Amino acid sequence: MKRTMTFTLNGRRVRIDVEPQEILLEVLRDRLGVKSPKCGCDKGDCGSCSVMINGKTIRSCLVLAIEVDGQRVMTIEGLMQNNELTPLQQSFIEQNSFQCGFCAPGIILSATELLERNPRPSEEQVKEAIAGNLCRCTGYQPIIDAITHLTRVSVSHQDNEKRKEVRP
Amino acid sequence: MSDLKFVGHDEVRIDGKAKVTGAAQYIDDLEFGPGLLFAEIVESPYAHAEIIGIDTTKAERAEGVVKVVTGKDFPYSFGLYMQDRFVFAQDRVRFVGEQVAAVIARDPVAAKRAARLVKVRYKELTPILHVEDALKEKPLLIHPNLKNYKHVPWFYPQAETNIAHWRKVKKGNMEEGFKEADLVFEDTYTVPRYAHCAIETHGAVGLFDHSRRLTVWAASQSPFTQRNVFAEALAPLGLSHQDVRVIAPCVGGGFGGKAGVSMEILAAALATAVKGNPVKVNWSRAQEFYNTYQRQGVIGKTKIGVKKDGTITALHQTLYWDAGAYVEYGANVVNAAGLSATGPYRIPNVKIDSFCVYTNLPPGGPYRGFGYSEFLFGLESHINETAKKLGMDPVEFRRRNAIKEGDTQTYGGHMNPSGLLQCIDKAAEAIEWGKKAENKSDPTKVIGKGFACFWKAPAMPPNAASSAFIKFNEDGSLNILISAMEIGQGVLTVMAQIAAEVLTVPPSKIRVETPDTDRNPYEWQTVASHITWGTGNAVKKAAEDCREQIFDLVARALGKNRDDLYLENECVCSRTEPDFKQPLRDFVINGFMMKDGTFRGGPIMGRGMFMPEFSSALSDPETSQGGKPNVHYTVGAAAVELEIDRETGRMRIPRVVVAVDVGKAINPGLVKGQVVGGIVQGLATVLYEDMRFDEKGRMLNPNFTDYKIPTAMDIPEQVISIIVEVAQPDGPYGARGVGEHTMIPAAPIIANAIEDALGIRMKSMPLTAEKVALAIKTQDTK
Amino acid sequence: MPIIQGFEYYKPTSASEVLKILSKYKNPAILAGGTDLINNLKTETDQPDAVVDIKGIKTLRGIALKNGVLTIGAAVTFSDLIDSKIINTKFPVIAEVARTVGSVGVRNRATMIGNICSAVACADSSPLLIAYEATVVVQEKKGKRKIPVEKWFKGNKRTAIKKNEMVIAVEIPLPAKKYAGCFVKMGRYSGEDLAQASVLILALPENRYRVAFGAVGPVPVRAKKLESLLNGHEVSDDLIAKSKKIIPTIISPITDIRASKEYRLHMCQVMFERGLKAAVSRSKGNGPAYGHSLI
Repeated sequence: MKRTMTFTLNGRRVRIDVEPQEILLEVLRDRLGVKSPKCGCDKGDCGSCSVMINGKTIRSCLVLAIEVDGQRVMTIEGLMQNNELTPLQQSFIEQNSFQCGFCAPGIILSATELLERNPRPSEEQVKEAIAGNLCRCTGYQPIIDAITHLTRVSVSHQDNEKRKEVRP
Repeated sequence: MSDLKFVGHDEVRIDGKAKVTGAAQYIDDLEFGPGLLFAEIVESPYAHAEIIGIDTTKAERAEGVVKVVTGKDFPYSFGLYMQDRFVFAQDRVRFVGEQVAAVIARDPVAAKRAARLVKVRYKELTPILHVEDALKEKPLLIHPNLKNYKHVPWFYPQAETNIAHWRKVKKGNMEEGFKEADLVFEDTYTVPRYAHCAIETHGAVGLFDHSRRLTVWAASQSPFTQRNVFAEALAPLGLSHQDVRVIAPCVGGGFGGKAGVSMEILAAALATAVKGNPVKVNWSRAQEFYNTYQRQGVIGKTKIGVKKDGTITALHQTLYWDAGAYVEYGANVVNAAGLSATGPYRIPNVKIDSFCVYTNLPPGGPYRGFGYSEFLFGLESHINETAKKLGMDPVEFRRRNAIKEGDTQTYGGHMNPSGLLQCIDKAAEAIEWGKKAENKSDPTKVIGKGFACFWKAPAMPPNAASSAFIKFNEDGSLNILISAMEIGQGVLTVMAQIAAEVLTVPPSKIRVETPDTDRNPYEWQTVASHITWGTGNAVKKAAEDCREQIFDLVARALGKNRDDLYLENECVCSRTEPDFKQPLRDFVINGFMMKDGTFRGGPIMGRGMFMPEFSSALSDPETSQGGKPNVHYTVGAAAVELEIDRETGRMRIPRVVVAVDVGKAINPGLVKGQVVGGIVQGLATVLYEDMRFDEKGRMLNPNFTDYKIPTAMDIPEQVISIIVEVAQPDGPYGARGVGEHTMIPAAPIIANAIEDALGIRMKSMPLTAEKVALAIKTQDTK
Repeated sequence: MPIIQGFEYYKPTSASEVLKILSKYKNPAILAGGTDLINNLKTETDQPDAVVDIKGIKTLRGIALKNGVLTIGAAVTFSDLIDSKIINTKFPVIAEVARTVGSVGVRNRATMIGNICSAVACADSSPLLIAYEATVVVQEKKGKRKIPVEKWFKGNKRTAIKKNEMVIAVEIPLPAKKYAGCFVKMGRYSGEDLAQASVLILALPENRYRVAFGAVGPVPVRAKKLESLLNGHEVSDDLIAKSKKIIPTIISPITDIRASKEYRLHMCQVMFERGLKAAVSRSKGNGPAYGHSLI
């Protein structure tokens, strides 16, 4: 039976009817047009479906859409403020931290979560934070370098969210 | 050459913004509107069986179903180098997972439900899962019709056997060669199958519209080759190349797996079954493992003859390839490896027999390295053992035998300029070869060092061509239209840099995007590490073509002396008139207005095409002599420092170094990217990835839970990337390819390091912690 | 992959509401983190008629230490455990176990209680709770039922849970004011992996020890035989050698595609030795930091 749910997606309120068995990843991609989270394995092993729920990166392929009723969901599309790349995104470009780019949205979210908890992570901490995001192209070192390169995140995504939240 | 402004620099990737913002669109991101239909494939549960009958009646009546098709609807074969594969299985199935039928429905759930209602009756046949069984006397034939298959003239299928192709190389005199030797030594090395594991799975959408135009969108490394295969396979439907269009969006990793045609043919075929509606075929991760190309397994018997002073006098390689159920592409891997299984060494007497053997396992095909990773494990392990037997340093042994420019190769051709000795020296220096490393604080750890040389040539048909168009825009920016695919390696940026160097328009003002076979000019495939060389040459020619038109126009419209003109900072300048600076943007679309109001010029457009005219696949079928199959080789050397925990077998890599001669690094940062990414992928094959099949041919670990690819916690502590530049005379700015090479040496350097640390020679990949620990335990109890 | 079979979804705000819903359905499933359940729904291993989401029940999110007993609520995630000050100060080995579960993205959702309710043979929480002599707290219609954890695990994927009940917490008694522990988990590499074998050791005052093995049998194994050998003695090379010898009599690992029986046995001996030495060092204020991998 379809249920109506409301949640915040990248700072905007969204109201949608879902069947309980619809998966969050599929609802985001196929019904709401948010394409950055990808389906890499559909089992929670690769991390390319990562989105943030209430500031924590989770695997959206293992979440029923209905579970985010009343919650805050953020994808990489919501990180940018005024079309400006975040310092992390800029660092990714400078360090050649991506090749095919398929894992990039997930890894950027994992790194964003890390940097908000710990603005100066060690290389070991960075590795642990992104260990759940599989990348086949880069060999990870350029990604780790992009993250450790940043000693400060000048604008955290939480500030972005607060600024963008629009009351209906 | 030294004052190049863009080439040779770490230009920022031009596809960066799209990829870090999530704007980049991959096949599953494309929208096709409410008419999109979804296909679910009915797969064979058996590795080898006859299809007795298929009942689709229940499925056809299921809710949401538009059409159900089987092999009867598509009795067509296809293949790149040999036509041995079928759109849908015909009279029999040859591997677990092979497509037998398909349901097309309005939504994925309906398709899935209905697919379960398709009833297939099989008669099981004995599956042949090992090369030894395929090669028995009077074996069960997996392809009884082998002798009637169409194939390229340089393949030699053996009728009435399971040998799809036998590449024979004979150079010099083997008997003499071994007689001359002071030491003759033989051993066997085993390398299993591997999976590409691109994070994006295969996907394709086909639309056969009401004007009978077939368009296929596919995550593909080869849009033009796919168009060709689709047109040939579906020719019985009245289709020809002008009716077929392939569009490729961003590709989420290829590694060879998205080259050629595997599952994409299903989108093309199914589209023709439902005129007017696009049909999507999206592969799950499990299907990605068992029904796309796999890297073939190989058993290599290596026999070497050497003199006391380390000179190699003879080499005999016998390679038995587990090539899988269909070898339309994989047979060329066997071929390419067969021609080059000597490694980068000068060997006067060579015999190589490379057998492409059918088995009832997933089809083998192109995988980064194209057979070279597979044979190099055995060869470089064997070389180390040989050096050890002679009491000679393994690096010195390699130096002594290293192939040089002009040396004769296995097939009679001559070696191109190469910096192999430089690579060897630099890699040895970077790993501090000769200096023993120890972990003084932990007695359970032992450290060894391993070394290997590597090489590879692009394995291409002799007429593999690349082409490019360049057109300008009103703001002086330009578009490069190529059909080389960006699979992550950075080709779009490298092409922009080449055009930038010629036309002085910076890469930030250059767009290079993914191709559409209707709009973009021909590119054979994005494989073989040949794009920088082939497409680079084409782009350079196209840019030079633009430049010539620009100078011609400025000379005649503005009355300048053509020979004085040059380009700088997006302007036409004159050596004799320092104040003359004509910005490109003013005229590259609009031309010049003359005093009388008429115009000269118009849109500047350049074209370039590159196809080597010196390459030939014709050679003596018994010896391979006389052929010119390989345009050039890229060479290199690699070394690793490996720390082994004697109790657990777990291995840690404090340092690994890859030195490669790329001729000219158009973008050194991107070359480094290939080194880091490639060596990690290579190390994964030797340390972690472990594909398992049961006794019925079913893959037991088609997922990341049990087929382990490295995470950020599993990488070497330090990857040292060394770029050597000995120019490739016919490459753009001297460049040659490097995309595959960086993973090729990974397995033997680990095997050699294990031997150095423990005195244990391991000859069967993968060399997992378990195998190492148990080998140590066995050694300790002896 | 879409989930083919539909079901009803509820998100109650109290445990008693959960029980009411459970009693209305033939085959209900409880949803906490979902990292097991959602996969099972996709593969149709589970086909519930109702899914009851317990993440809305505030009382289940707590980590509290009272009168020497740590209570971990059913909705507490592994990330919550890693971030908890109480856990890091008083029960650091729990955080050490939590850090080996999957990766951050999994830990942000997966729960310890979900882990022991799935009760797969390789569950990481199992040897932990066995060594700590924990209690599983179950809410049933007529109140709470407390099950000692050694009676909780009945077999691979089988627990003592009855129909129309839910686990609301585990209770972990603080074994001593000052003690240390160590968890060693065998995987195929340093990245995330399901345990092929694991050992959890607690080093308590006066040379007393607790040892539990995981993933080497259908249920976790409390190695009482080993503890008898060790108890009352200072750890020595001789004692360790004797202990390692009896390990093959205590555990029964299998050979599967992940590892062979032989290697698992061998690794259990290695992990036991290293884990024991680390736990003892830690109890003396030295030793490797919690979370540092010993293998």
